[in-house]
Amino acid sequence: MSHDALNPSPASLSFSTQSVEGIARVVRVTGDQVWLEPEQTTSCGHCASSASCGASAREAAGIGTVTSRLQARRFMLDNPEGSSGFHEGERVVVGVSERALLSASLTAYGVPLVFALTAGSVTQAVYGEDLTTMLGMAGGLFLGLLVARLNARRLAARGDLAPRFLRRARPDETCGTD
Amino acid sequence: MKEFALMMIGAALVNNVILARFLGLCSFMGVTTRVDTAAGMGLATTFVITVSSMADWAVQTYLLDAYGLGFLRTVTFILVIASAVQFTEMTIKKVSPSLFQMLGIYLPLITTNCAVLGVALLLVEGKMGFLSSTMFAFASSVGYSLVMIIFAGLRERLVLAHVPRLFAGPPIAFIVAGMLAMAFMGFSGIATS
Repeated sequence: MSHDALNPSPASLSFSTQSVEGIARVVRVTGDQVWLEPEQTTSCGHCASSASCGASAREAAGIGTVTSRLQARRFMLDNPEGSSGFHEGERVVVGVSERALLSASLTAYGVPLVFALTAGSVTQAVYGEDLTTMLGMAGGLFLGLLVARLNARRLAARGDLAPRFLRRARPDETCGTD
Repeated sequence: MKEFALMMIGAALVNNVILARFLGLCSFMGVTTRVDTAAGMGLATTFVITVSSMADWAVQTYLLDAYGLGFLRTVTFILVIASAVQFTEMTIKKVSPSLFQMLGIYLPLITTNCAVLGVALLLVEGKMGFLSSTMFAFASSVGYSLVMIIFAGLRERLVLAHVPRLFAGPPIAFIVAGMLAMAFMGFSGIATS
């Protein structure tokens, strides 16, 4: 094993360890605003039945289809750096920081869970009944979701959750390729 | 309290969902190429397993057991899990559209994660109370997340290593997974539940 393999230069690691990348397609350009749709691949690899099971990305945007899910996940970049000359259909690489993904996950899932489990434990200790514990846990979950909402607003206001334009994608570039 | 702690350690480390029960192997191999995505998937799965176990306990106790419908357990649990995932997705979307943009990609994958159904069926065998059942599910999913993150870290290191061409890719990943499973067998001395 070479020395370089064990000790990669900081420059070669800095980008990959600081951002999570994804490929998106430009669907609309209005002035300085660029609307993007994430490019998503399915894990099943598509089969002859993909049109009926919802795995095909070229089907109509019915309820629960991949197309409708992608449309629901459209997002806008306001005056992205180096965005001049964007056109519809172009593929770009966008990214968010690793820390943002972790913060978002902890906010969305960790906070409600902590509230629910704490509320359930307290209710069980006080009342000792399964039904009451269940209600207490559901109440804790609801409260946790409210707290998560407040925290998500704070993160969004700081711009931590917004994806950033990184570069234009190469024609052969897909998710997971360098 | 001691029994409670032992049960949780047993669920998370000794009888680990991935390495001891061999559940959730699809996401274990598919989403562990990076630590951040593994952590995101792990947290999302933890949330869904815990929430769906709460619902599954209620359905089992007040519907299936009460009316003698035990033969419908698997079908009902699949429905409950799909509903829990849909509920989570709708809630995240409502709570914060920004979070949904970032995390929504993981949620549909969880519906087909056999670890969620596996834990729900294990809870029925355990015949536990509501809190014990929920804590067992939570501990199991924490064990799942822990292994996902450890394995993702190992795979990130593997990318930088010179692996013989014959072993490159999935073969070396499976070998590392086997070594990790053997390492986790060391926890079996801590708790036996």
